[in-house]
Amino acid sequence: MSEPEYTIALEGVTFTYPGTDIGVHDVTLGIRPGELLAVIGPSGCGKSTLLKIIAGFVQPSHGRVIIGGKDAAGIPPRQRNIGIVFQTYTLFPHMTAWENVAYPLKLRGQDQASRRAKAVDILGRVGLGTQTDNLPAQLSGGQQQRVALARALVFDPQALLLDEPLSALDAALRVEMRDEIRRLQRMHHIATMHITHDQEEALSMADRVAVMQNGRLVQVDKPRDIYARPVNREVADFIGQANLWTGHITGPTNVGTPFGTLTTLPHGRNTGDKVAVLVRPEGLLLGRGPGDINSFTGAVTRDRFLGSFRRFDFEIGGVTLLGETGDMGEITAIHIPPTSIQLLPETGSAQS
Amino acid sequence: MAFATVLYLIYLFTPIVLLFVGSFGHIWFNTLLPTGITLDWYMQVATDGSFRRAFWTSLQVCTLTCVIGALIGTPLAYAIYRAASQQVRAAARVIYLLPIAVPPLVLAFGFILVFSSDELPFLGSLWILVGGHLVLTLPYLLHTLIGDMRHLRLAEQELAAEALGAGFWQRFRDIVLPSLRHSLASGLITVAALSIGEFQLSNLVAGFLTRPYPVVLLQAFYGATGFACAATVVLLVLALAASAGGALTARGAQGVHGLSA
Repeated sequence: MSEPEYTIALEGVTFTYPGTDIGVHDVTLGIRPGELLAVIGPSGCGKSTLLKIIAGFVQPSHGRVIIGGKDAAGIPPRQRNIGIVFQTYTLFPHMTAWENVAYPLKLRGQDQASRRAKAVDILGRVGLGTQTDNLPAQLSGGQQQRVALARALVFDPQALLLDEPLSALDAALRVEMRDEIRRLQRMHHIATMHITHDQEEALSMADRVAVMQNGRLVQVDKPRDIYARPVNREVADFIGQANLWTGHITGPTNVGTPFGTLTTLPHGRNTGDKVAVLVRPEGLLLGRGPGDINSFTGAVTRDRFLGSFRRFDFEIGGVTLLGETGDMGEITAIHIPPTSIQLLPETGSAQS
Repeated sequence: MAFATVLYLIYLFTPIVLLFVGSFGHIWFNTLLPTGITLDWYMQVATDGSFRRAFWTSLQVCTLTCVIGALIGTPLAYAIYRAASQQVRAAARVIYLLPIAVPPLVLAFGFILVFSSDELPFLGSLWILVGGHLVLTLPYLLHTLIGDMRHLRLAEQELAAEALGAGFWQRFRDIVLPSLRHSLASGLITVAALSIGEFQLSNLVAGFLTRPYPVVLLQAFYGATGFACAATVVLLVLALAASAGGALTARGAQGVHGLSA
């Protein structure tokens, strides 16, 4: 049997919580073998519901969930063979670290000696070789998270679901655990869905990022493409730093903004259309541009030194622009190359 | 603050100390403290037929109340905790706390009405006492267990276990029961102490041959002071022993369902 294209596939999946409109609507999404897919969105956007649907904790009212090429309808969570890491770790407090990790093996009928050996082995691989006999209460938050990760991987599940696994950790540990999760995920070559509200986490870890809004999937792309080509104003705002203005089309290569008219590449929109104008901070270049195109004089009102670069606020006629540069000199003028300007739908659904 | 504490402790322990002193005192009549030391009062209590019988009755009722309480209370608490709807949980809470609000006297009259009928002639039996004590103590056990389930976020743990491949009974055996061992122990200690000391209901529904210890103890206060003190000290020791027994029962239960992953 050939490997299906997607380890997990959702086809037009809809689920709403009883008596509400909250949930997920018509989501079609696939996770490829060995891929780490980050699902990102503000709280309440339905990303955790998506995880519950795949895990089998809730049943979609429409659409199909296909796991390993098979329709998962009617298959209870315990038979789906999917590893899950929860936000609160949910280790069993009365079991030691190795007993926690060995528990799924016990359920699969392995004898004590072999499941202990396997548990101790994988705990060693997540850096807890000397803490195998500790109870969860005797472990730090990061260590508990590693145990939870080991427990979710030890039984060779066909996929891994991570539900905001790093949100309970402090900042430094969070960055360290990103690499740890990525390393283990690659080592096991396991299809993984990583739910998060932290866009930096999603961009830095994932092979592909899926952005959700109000229960709908609005964009699925590689991190770089999501950043460079967001489909609408909300995605642009949510992913990375952004200058976003409401503008009006004033000509085939012009758009009016609150601080003046900008020259763009030919955009094919109708004069008078309302659009969102996106310029990423690194799109602001210092000094006046060639031929004075999109060039403005003004003043820096805030300057944040961030080591190898600085992030500054630049005020033009009462409008503040956000810029980033590695140049530490004085800034009196900026220009925006037409290639750095993107016009997006002001709001609503995706269109190109 | 310290003064108030000391005063409270004196108030709390003086009667108990006096009980001990009185139980070993030979003569205690019109003096602040008794004169002479004797073990006679204890010998008298030990050889008294009705006290001996009451002692064993209390132990039996207490043990049965604990065992049956644990067997009924654990699944019941679990069912209430896992009830899907908020309203069901709230209603269950009101119902299971009701026996605390209702005076035992009222309950006892109800028992007399129901169980003195020709169809249910159980008044005066040991089982009517066990039944009564169960009704009176179950709220405390349920309250302790349900509180602990919430505290442990048992539902989340079960979700995790389910995802790892555990079915209902595996979860109940491996996760639910071991997690509850501490609260079951402390709940049963409360149950045991309440059952041993229960007087109001027992006094009304017990038969002459199934009178538990506190009911018989009431008779002692009409006799010699030393005898009454000795008989009361026995109850005190019995209550402490029952509490310890309750704790051991819970440990035992944990051993039976104990987990070796």
